[in-house]
Amino acid sequence: MRWNSTGYRITGKADLNAEDFFVEVEAPEVAERWRPGSFVILLLHEKGERIPLSVQKVRDGRLSLLVKRLGKSSWQLYREYGVGSEVAHLAGPLGKPIELKEYGNVVVVSDLVCGHAENYAISSALREINGNYVISIQSFKDRSEVYPEEFLTKDVCHEFWLTTLNGSAGIKGHFLDVVAKLLEERDIDIIFGGGELASLWRLAELTKPYGIPTIVTVRQIMVDGTGMCGSCRVLVDGKIKFACVDGPMFDAHKVSFEDALRRLTRFEREEKLALERYLRGGAP
Amino acid sequence: MKEAVTARRVPTPERPPEQRLRDFDEVNLGYTFELAVEEAKRCLQCPVEEAPCAKACPVHIKIPLFIEKLRRYSDARTAVKEALRVIWRDNLLPAITGRVCPQELLCEAACAKGRVGEPINIGKLERFVADYAREHGIDDELLEEQLPRVEAKRGRVAVIGAGPSSLTCASELAKIGYKVTIFEALHKPGGVLLFGVPEFRLPKKVLEKEVERLKRLGVEFKLNCIVGKTITLDEIRREYDAVFIATGAGTPKLLNIPGILLNDVYSANEFLTRVNLMKAHKFPEYDTPVRVGRKVIVIGAGNTAMDAARTARRLGAEVIIAYRRGREDVTARAEEVRHALEEGVRFMFFVTPIEILGDERGNVRAVKFMKMKPLEERNRESKRKIMPTGETVVVEADTVIIAIGLVPNKLIWENVPELEVTSEGTLKVDGDLMTSIPGVFAGGDIVRGEATVIEGMGDGRKAAKAIHQYIQRSKHQQAILKV
Ligand SMILES: Cc1cc2nc3c(=O)[nH]c(=O)nc-3n(C[C@H](O)[C@H](O)[C@H](O)COP(=O)(O)OP(=O)(O)OC[C@H]3O[C@@H](n4cnc5c(N)ncnc54)[C@H](O)[C@@H]3O)c2cc1C
Ligand code: FES
Repeated sequence: MRWNSTGYRITGKADLNAEDFFVEVEAPEVAERWRPGSFVILLLHEKGERIPLSVQKVRDGRLSLLVKRLGKSSWQLYREYGVGSEVAHLAGPLGKPIELKEYGNVVVVSDLVCGHAENYAISSALREINGNYVISIQSFKDRSEVYPEEFLTKDVCHEFWLTTLNGSAGIKGHFLDVVAKLLEERDIDIIFGGGELASLWRLAELTKPYGIPTIVTVRQIMVDGTGMCGSCRVLVDGKIKFACVDGPMFDAHKVSFEDALRRLTRFEREEKLALERYLRGGAP
Repeated sequence: MKEAVTARRVPTPERPPEQRLRDFDEVNLGYTFELAVEEAKRCLQCPVEEAPCAKACPVHIKIPLFIEKLRRYSDARTAVKEALRVIWRDNLLPAITGRVCPQELLCEAACAKGRVGEPINIGKLERFVADYAREHGIDDELLEEQLPRVEAKRGRVAVIGAGPSSLTCASELAKIGYKVTIFEALHKPGGVLLFGVPEFRLPKKVLEKEVERLKRLGVEFKLNCIVGKTITLDEIRREYDAVFIATGAGTPKLLNIPGILLNDVYSANEFLTRVNLMKAHKFPEYDTPVRVGRKVIVIGAGNTAMDAARTARRLGAEVIIAYRRGREDVTARAEEVRHALEEGVRFMFFVTPIEILGDERGNVRAVKFMKMKPLEERNRESKRKIMPTGETVVVEADTVIIAIGLVPNKLIWENVPELEVTSEGTLKVDGDLMTSIPGVFAGGDIVRGEATVIEGMGDGRKAAKAIHQYIQRSKHQQAILKV
């Protein structure tokens, strides 16, 4: 096994749309252990922050990460770290992977970059297992946002649905609309979801009356990602759980989304400040 | 000056509180050689074998002997080198323990001089020796003399975690010719000394020097490696002759009260990690932010609480430490409590939080406490038992930091059923610190629960001896089998 301790090489990079991009990082020891549902922590440089990222797939000791240009770190990764350069640190895989087994009819949904990565990972793994029928649904706002085909889950599931809010590509609406229809018309055994917490909250409310197991990724702000700080804590079934070690996927019917959504805004002001400063060229 | 008559300690200079609050530099400036010698001369020089201080020290540093070296040589270099030689026999990280040990409960509590006046300032003398040696390259010189003559071929040992217990174990083994690899989950080594203890108490350059020294001894560091996730214990066992686990007590306990998920409620670990490890106090130069409001309430009264409170003061907040017991039960080092008071941290005793109150946006507004009262009866730690009075009090705050303790991080044993664990989540070990898996040893907080740096180091040393014996024994047995 080849070991990295510092310095992880970037081996691929591409735009997915105006905001999202793909980046491939070489980390053989992490890639070997990674399973769908678990994530990694990336630290660009010695002054950087530890950011959790979902993994789309692994190949040849490399991790495919899908990232949105949102805060300072993701902008910096996009602008300054080209193919051939190195990020300082990468740790993982973290969190609990999903159980890879026969579920029956599986629906996997996503409407945000990290969710799309997870959708790809989960769909492709579950499709390989006999007895599973995987329906994958990806939602975008507009056709201009839709990823290039090789990054969609189209070829890694049995049934693919693409939706845009305005109907400019695929069918009009959100994955919630498709799920509502599927719940009425089809026999669904389990749903996995990733993306906007607000959508996942509504997903939970949608599936609850049907009693269909709904497992979603609860994105939270992390520091270490190893269960050491509690920054990522989530209330699940009235108990405190740490998203980085107990999750990040939880039973959506038991998650307190109100707290989870609010805790995502903890450092909103600081994040905005850091990004503005960076885009201005670092001046205070 | 006549020897051994002064009842009072030679004071160590400290920076004034107003100045301290403006930066993260160290508070205590330590002895100069002259002052150290003056303090050393107060020592009664009990015979080493019977010296109460050495007995009370968890690693039994030959304290009177190192103090004697400081008195014997007028040349500072020689005095320090000889004193360091004595200390190193039992403790390889004196610059650290000199700063973080609860000396007032250990060596200094036992000091014979303490019966008639103030005990010898052993902690500060230890620190002086280490600092002077580091600043003048004396430690490098001594290390050069002690570098293993043999090539590292006695065997390979894996050490998991890079806290004080691991660093000690690794250096002991490297010195006698083992090839040691340290596996650490975070991107830097040091454990609590790195992410927990603030710069103003333990400058990170002191820690970095210790790590450098280990590298000189041939110890290899594998960072970003979470054992149990990035690599399994089984895989490690296949490649190494023995394993030492010292992954600490890393997971913060949180209160089970309403409001614990409000936005500006931190665990002390999160707050301190943001600042110490990620340098959030230098945001936006560093990318990790931290938010402290104007009024911070810290819950708890251990070292972690003091560190969080004093860090929050440096970030400009007013700070109250709220503790459910009384002043006499505060568990932090005495010096830290004194420094906290000098720096304007206020204390509330006999209160326990029952709710954190938030505003409509989910920010902290106040903390509601139940007032407690002490009983005559004492618990197992001989602290007075307490009970609720039924009376409550609401204290305004915009940030709450929970510092009520830590439990072991389960990542290490979660997927290893053969590793026996107690109900508290600590690892079970035998008298040689061997776990339920042969060849896998453990020490420090993962075995003791929340303990101290020096106890963890003591374990590291003890485990190193046991590991050496274990490996020699198994090699011997293999040799016999081959014959
Ligand atoms: C804020 C604070 C202040 C303190 N102040 C004092 C003081 O003044 N004096 C004193 O004596 N004691 C103090 N203590 C207690 C003291 O720090 C601990 O007792 C001591 O650090 C324990 O050492 P250790 O080597 O067992 O573990 P730690 O120092 O906890 O180190 C464990 C290391 O293992 C790593 N790790 C964990 N899991 C894994 C894994 N699965 N794989 C790889 N690596 C892993 C962690 O990242 C960490 O680096 C303090 C504690 C805290 C939290
Ligand atoms: S990120 Fe620190 S505990 Fe999860």
